[in-house]
Amino acid sequence: MYSAPETMPIELPTFHADISLPYTLTPGRAAGTFLAEVKNKRIIGSRFASGMVVAPAEDFSSVDGEEPESFVEAPQTGVLTAFTRVDGEVIGFIKLDGCDNEFPHKILADLSDLAVGQRVEAEWQDGVEESITAIKGFRLAPDAPEGAVKPAGETEEPLGSIKYALSLPYEHAYGPYYGRMFDEIRENGRVMGVRCTNADVALLPPREIDDISHKKTGTWKTCADTGTIRGCSIINMEFVGQTREPPYVYAEIVLDGASTRLIHMIEIDDVEDAKKRIKPGTRVRAIWTEGERKGSMSDIERFEVIDE
Amino acid sequence: MALKKVGVIATAQTELRPAWSDAQHIDLISSVVTSVFKGSGLTIDDVDFVIDSGSDVLDGRSISNCGFLGALGAHHKEEARVEEDGIWAAHYGVNKIASGAASVGLIVAYSKPSESQVANYWSSQVEPFYQRPVGFSQRAAGGIQAQRYLAANDVSMEDLANLVAARWAAAQENGGVQIDKLPSASDVLSAAEGAAPLTDLMFSRPMDGAVAVLLADEATARRAGADPVLITGMGSSADAHAFADRDNSRLNSLSLAAERAAASAGWSAAEADIVEVSASTAVAELMALEALGLAKPGQGKAAAQGGKVAVNNSGGALPADPLMVTGLARLVEAVRQLRQPKRYGLSSASRAVVHGANGIGMQSNCVFNLEV
Repeated sequence: MYSAPETMPIELPTFHADISLPYTLTPGRAAGTFLAEVKNKRIIGSRFASGMVVAPAEDFSSVDGEEPESFVEAPQTGVLTAFTRVDGEVIGFIKLDGCDNEFPHKILADLSDLAVGQRVEAEWQDGVEESITAIKGFRLAPDAPEGAVKPAGETEEPLGSIKYALSLPYEHAYGPYYGRMFDEIRENGRVMGVRCTNADVALLPPREIDDISHKKTGTWKTCADTGTIRGCSIINMEFVGQTREPPYVYAEIVLDGASTRLIHMIEIDDVEDAKKRIKPGTRVRAIWTEGERKGSMSDIERFEVIDE
Repeated sequence: MALKKVGVIATAQTELRPAWSDAQHIDLISSVVTSVFKGSGLTIDDVDFVIDSGSDVLDGRSISNCGFLGALGAHHKEEARVEEDGIWAAHYGVNKIASGAASVGLIVAYSKPSESQVANYWSSQVEPFYQRPVGFSQRAAGGIQAQRYLAANDVSMEDLANLVAARWAAAQENGGVQIDKLPSASDVLSAAEGAAPLTDLMFSRPMDGAVAVLLADEATARRAGADPVLITGMGSSADAHAFADRDNSRLNSLSLAAERAAASAGWSAAEADIVEVSASTAVAELMALEALGLAKPGQGKAAAQGGKVAVNNSGGALPADPLMVTGLARLVEAVRQLRQPKRYGLSSASRAVVHGANGIGMQSNCVFNLEV
């Protein structure tokens, strides 16, 4: 009743990968102004033509998309309208006095002391700028008088961009086909693929289903560690993600016995000489790394031209 | 020009597991894509287009569908990716066929959250200037929704725990979900805090898996295999991005989606035999049933137990939430139940409503009405 891929035990655990993405985020005028003003310990909001006041400031109303008329300075007191605790941190929704919206922030109190409708006030954190975390959180303030929304007056220039980074770790499963291929590289120092549907040539990397015919692939086949370049480029500049220093040749190589291209590198000393010697049709051989293999394409250190 | 009726010819699904650690995405995908044709009389060559649903953030690669094209059966075909729950991919596919632009479409959804940190997937959906830095998250949204719902309505933590335990038991009975140990209601109550007041087990459980659905125009569907399940209504709606800006006492965008689907089908969820909803928490499941019109606001508890309308016979999303797959898996489950009602304890069944959701605190919702 349920489908299941073909599986088999493999030696390798998972393939670890980290993706780190640097960004410069553009906050826009409203959030940019809010973030610029936290160093003055002011909470900037937006007033719309309808009379609605929203804080922190927004460039557009989430209700009807209208743009605000002006910035305002919101009071630092309000009420708690909802709360929860995640990983030990209490997070609540705050409705500042005179404002119409709620927003999430940290609540500096024990969950057991909280009730909806309690008065709260902002607590600032010295030394933090350009972030909403300049407000450390909101603490209970039962006696805080009702604050009022004021004109913002002169405001700081909005921040144009802020630096941000996402860091995403992964543990990828190899699956039975990639798993066996890398096991074979590690244990036996050989590159194995699976035969495609209708010919005695191997697909690399191996897979259960042929991409083109969408039929089940055939038996395993060992490819030679020699092959022919079918596409290449001499790399003579630096860029992010390189695994070696330029110059070198990026090459798409069809190993003898395979039908698909394998991407690998050819080391060169001289660019002009490489232009003459390395081109589609050039024969190459794998140079394996010395010592214990890891079960990775990097167990082949590089390819080199076979002088014929 | 009248729109064509569109039917589901066949479905295929892998078991949903906390971790498919011995298979990669393409292994799961090619498994369901090859299975879905069995008994249909059709092959991949009959497929006019492939629409797939997955998440680059979960998959750990950009435009991940490019790498999965071969497994998807999409080589040299018209292919598109929907970075939302798979039910939106089906929505897209149904529209293509209904318009007459194509006859046969393959819809595929897949997720392997076991390979990444699911909190990052959710966090990447949260607004980055005001909300992400203070720790607002999918969990916080679920906790706040629950705190408000429990304060306003006659629902206890025990009620929620009973609901969760019943859903896990249903999932185990109906198969397709890996469950190593069935939690009792007291296990649910005593589980670690997920987001106060909810325990961890009151949140849906992320799972790995893939599903494939073969759609066709009615004439093609009637020539193929089993009687088709016709899609007679569809609707979707999106609420405000900021969770705090929404009316948290109800799922308004789900109500609107359901009204749109009911308007084209001519009947609503309350008139269905089977309802399958996706929900990210036990409270959200009650709210989803209310939004579908099975109960008044705040009174979803009784409707959740079934009765005239069978609700989440499959167990729903609480025991198994394969993220990008969850809503499309509801459709697959409903098709099974419509074709084999007795196996699910129903004397007969001719109508089903299925639901998928996206975003923090179920910001967007999509509903299908199905008929046999």
